[in-house]
Amino acid sequence: MHIIKLDAIDSTNTFLRHLSSEKTVEDYTVVVANSQTKGRGQMGTVWDSQPNKNLMVSVFIDVSFLKIENSFYISMATSLAISNALKAFQIKPVKVKWPNDILADQKKISGVLIENVIKNNQLQASIIGFGLNVNQTYFEQLPSATSMHMVSGKVYHLDEVLLSVIEQLRYYIDILKTGDFQKVKDLYESELFRNNKPSTFKDVKGVLFTGIIKGVSNSGYLQVLIEDEILKEFDLKEVKLLY
Amino acid sequence: MDIKEIQNLIKFVAKSGASEVKLEMDDVKITIRTGSDDKGDSTTYVQQIPVNQPVTQAIPVAAQAPVAAPAADAPAAASADDSKYITIKSPIIGTFYRKPSPDKPVFVEVGSTIGEGDVLCVIEAMKLFNEIESEVSGKIVKILVDDSSPVEFDQPLFLVDPS
Repeated sequence: MHIIKLDAIDSTNTFLRHLSSEKTVEDYTVVVANSQTKGRGQMGTVWDSQPNKNLMVSVFIDVSFLKIENSFYISMATSLAISNALKAFQIKPVKVKWPNDILADQKKISGVLIENVIKNNQLQASIIGFGLNVNQTYFEQLPSATSMHMVSGKVYHLDEVLLSVIEQLRYYIDILKTGDFQKVKDLYESELFRNNKPSTFKDVKGVLFTGIIKGVSNSGYLQVLIEDEILKEFDLKEVKLLY
Repeated sequence: MDIKEIQNLIKFVAKSGASEVKLEMDDVKITIRTGSDDKGDSTTYVQQIPVNQPVTQAIPVAAQAPVAAPAADAPAAASADDSKYITIKSPIIGTFYRKPSPDKPVFVEVGSTIGEGDVLCVIEAMKLFNEIESEVSGKIVKILVDDSSPVEFDQPLFLVDPS
């Protein structure tokens, strides 16, 4: 494993992407920053974090072994890696909110931003970026955010947490390399927030409905049991889980 | 609806490339067919819904021909030209983005020279952001999808002139 530590950077994902387009980078090259000036969330949202308190990490992984239609498994492996690392530090309860937010005590403790490179209709590389709140003590105007410290009251060594997540990530990616997709999917589903519990959802028209999360499809659609025992699959934009 | 509005509507439909548009409002029902299906009978109907209203408006077909004809010719000419271009298609279902993030410039524009391995766009699916790299080098001739719109598997995204 090759770790690049940066004091301040616009975005670790952007940095790693540029690096990988300029030269060949080793599998599991890790970029970690003390502070990000332009941390990115999903398409335009920002990831804000106090300097030196939390982990902002990007990992380069060669995923050319994966078929393009299985790319959601990268997301499952990443979610599992973070949630299991948190459990190893006795943080609980930890759940994965579909598709890849990590919740501790029902609050967001970690967010993931995965960028894949596709060429010739084939996955080449994945840049897995994640922010993990470790020692931050409060979040201004973010009532639904939390940190490891806020959950347990302890102060953590950032490098230890980082190594634990990377180790877990390698473990789950290695399972995918053996082709045991079902195992990763079963584990991911067992970690899903509100799995097998009646929950309220909001559709694109703003209509509320009740359903029970049963799992995900191979391409990442959420499978929800709705009225009349119908199992319906939802895209991310079609449904919002209320909690 | 007055004649002018109907004429504007016809122009709009002709430009859009749609072959048929049906519109029903209060007391009018309009069907506009463009000549793009090559039957030569490019007709424009304005008919009334069978409610007794004295607003029967018949637009002479000939009057619309100057509008519809060039629009119908254009796709034919374009498709003849397009054969020498390479079509880059979407490898996945998702949302097509022309920029790495909203505040950044677009990856490519019409006229951009691209090389093999250059990033052309991002297609997002299930929060996975997939950068699509070019397999060819050449010049972008046409961008076939609007920014932030959904794309299907195998949907053409770009036309590239390899010469």
